[in-house]
Amino acid sequence: MQALHDEGVELIFGYPGGAALHIYDAIFRQDKIDHILVRHEQGATHAADGYSRATGKPGVVLVTSGPGATNAITGIATAFMDSIPMVVISGQVASHLIGTDAFQETDMIGVSRPVVKHSYTVFNAEEIPKIIKEAFYVATSGRPGPVVIDIPKDMTAPDNLFDYSYPEEAIIRSYNPPIQPEQDQIDRAVEAILIAKKPVIYAGGGAIASNAEKELFELNKIIDAPVTNTLMGLGIYPASHHRFLGMLGMHGTYQANMAMHNADLIIAIGARFDDRITNKPSKFAPNAKVVHLDVDHSSVSKIIEANVAVFGQVKNSLKLIKDTLEKKLDSYNSATIQPWHEQIKEWKSQHGLNYDLYKDQSDSHPILPQAVVQHVHEITNGEAYVTSDVGQHQMFAAQYYHFDKPRRWINSGGLGTMGFGLPAAMGVKLAFPKDEVVCITGEGSIQMCIQELSTCLQYNLPIKIININNEALGMVKQWQDMNYGGRHSESTYQNSLPDFIKLAESYGHEGIKIEKNSELKDGLKKAFAMKDKLVFVDIYVDPSEHVYPMQVANGSLENMWLSKDKQT
Amino acid sequence: MIKRKLILIMENKPGALVRVVGLFHQRGYNIETLHVDSVKDFSVYKDIEKKLETKFEDNQISRLTIETMVSDDLMRQILRQLNKLIDVIAVSNEETTYLKGVLLDENLL
Repeated sequence: MQALHDEGVELIFGYPGGAALHIYDAIFRQDKIDHILVRHEQGATHAADGYSRATGKPGVVLVTSGPGATNAITGIATAFMDSIPMVVISGQVASHLIGTDAFQETDMIGVSRPVVKHSYTVFNAEEIPKIIKEAFYVATSGRPGPVVIDIPKDMTAPDNLFDYSYPEEAIIRSYNPPIQPEQDQIDRAVEAILIAKKPVIYAGGGAIASNAEKELFELNKIIDAPVTNTLMGLGIYPASHHRFLGMLGMHGTYQANMAMHNADLIIAIGARFDDRITNKPSKFAPNAKVVHLDVDHSSVSKIIEANVAVFGQVKNSLKLIKDTLEKKLDSYNSATIQPWHEQIKEWKSQHGLNYDLYKDQSDSHPILPQAVVQHVHEITNGEAYVTSDVGQHQMFAAQYYHFDKPRRWINSGGLGTMGFGLPAAMGVKLAFPKDEVVCITGEGSIQMCIQELSTCLQYNLPIKIININNEALGMVKQWQDMNYGGRHSESTYQNSLPDFIKLAESYGHEGIKIEKNSELKDGLKKAFAMKDKLVFVDIYVDPSEHVYPMQVANGSLENMWLSKDKQT
Repeated sequence: MIKRKLILIMENKPGALVRVVGLFHQRGYNIETLHVDSVKDFSVYKDIEKKLETKFEDNQISRLTIETMVSDDLMRQILRQLNKLIDVIAVSNEETTYLKGVLLDENLL
């Protein structure tokens, strides 16, 4: 505990159990670090993850051995896929019992190995300060990620005393993440930018991890290129900026995907060209040169070959590119990309997201999920922290809630973990108690971590839960509609949904049910007016609605479904 | 695909080997041969010690030799993934070496 305090930890999410009891006793006997008792270890990891995404600080989790540790795995994998810094401390059975199938024994290091950046086992109590220092360094540096520390019970026994001192810094001779890029890489990137006629900036979660929003904005003041963000990158460039194209990829906007496909230069910033972005890689952006800024060697030229690779913290790389570009400004004229902007404007006008279509429908039509997100955006002035779960509601939120700031959009992009939204919102609310925190979810996802409503009661976390209820696993159903002849195999619940209002009330929260368009705006306003209460807003929406645009499988980025019967 | 040889030196710590082997397994690459040694003679690694500004001591370092059947592209990706493992100090194929994250155009191992 002393080591965690010395590391600057203020908040731990966890759940006690036998092998962690010595540590829990130490928590009881101190008052510097707050502990949040969740209702399931998965909730602890997601809450720490949400806390980390919103603040940029590492999330800290404490669980016991065996089931406590394995329950945490989904949350660790979620953080791993999205490169979120997290330190997970798991209790372990006492050293002499390891390997004997002892009660609540699991090989946590083995089980977690494929989904951690690194892991440590404590073999000597004296190593604890050094290991904790190293774990935080590894978790937060380079490409961030989760680190597990497995501590056998005897290592934390009160009689296991040693001379404590906390190391000033962690030095790992085999680990050296790039920080400052090489100038020749920068020069080559600048050369490519100077000759581009159709440039696109494609920024992802890595740009947020590196806190590069200012550097990106400043650089693009010079280049004046259109900017698209990945699902993980939303907010790194202001959505209200006239050069912003929206999200790209599977459910990206028409103009973002068209711009990427037709670009002659793609400037990739902390993004990894994953399969939800590229569609079929061999058909991806055939005429584009790729300048790839990343901190991770193994992410560059993994899927799409980079013509220029710039390794380093992307914040530093962007700044250096700007400084170098400024010296060559006489050979750069942003007017040469004017025809490109005209083209993009045309694409936008052809098939932009139909913002006017969804709002203010009459009661003869069911509520459209897009309208729910639009109203939430309006009521919160676009300034809320929005967490989401996974599925159609996640895509509608990404498309229709416009983020002007980074770290406001908090979702499981890589692993796609249902159940993430509510516990993540708890982590955000604890970090920023005065800010509005909204969990946009669906009736499927919310039931995967619904037990955390109890945690929200214990710690008085007035989150607003917007349940976009289509009485089905919407995204599964959409794929079944499109690819499986409309056979809805196991994607509906046969009228077995709980009464969410009563459920919320049983946990001491408020509930509002909305079924008609005429109730939507006022119902949401009423929910957000209850500042000190968690409000569960259960909104019944059109179950037949699909998410569009949608990439046509195995096509290029140009090939999109724009509606149920219209393809590009 | 042809058989290719990789050499790694890494910290001799519990769990380090399984991370290397796990990386091959997870991606479906088969290991043809695997040889692991605790390094006794450091004279051949003088250059590396100098570059890392460190001094290797007895039983601190393991040397792995792995032979695997992969294409050029996969080989490059495997090298990068191995280089990413925290305990790996250096990894080398015939032409290149990643030394603590830095790519060098020579086989240092």
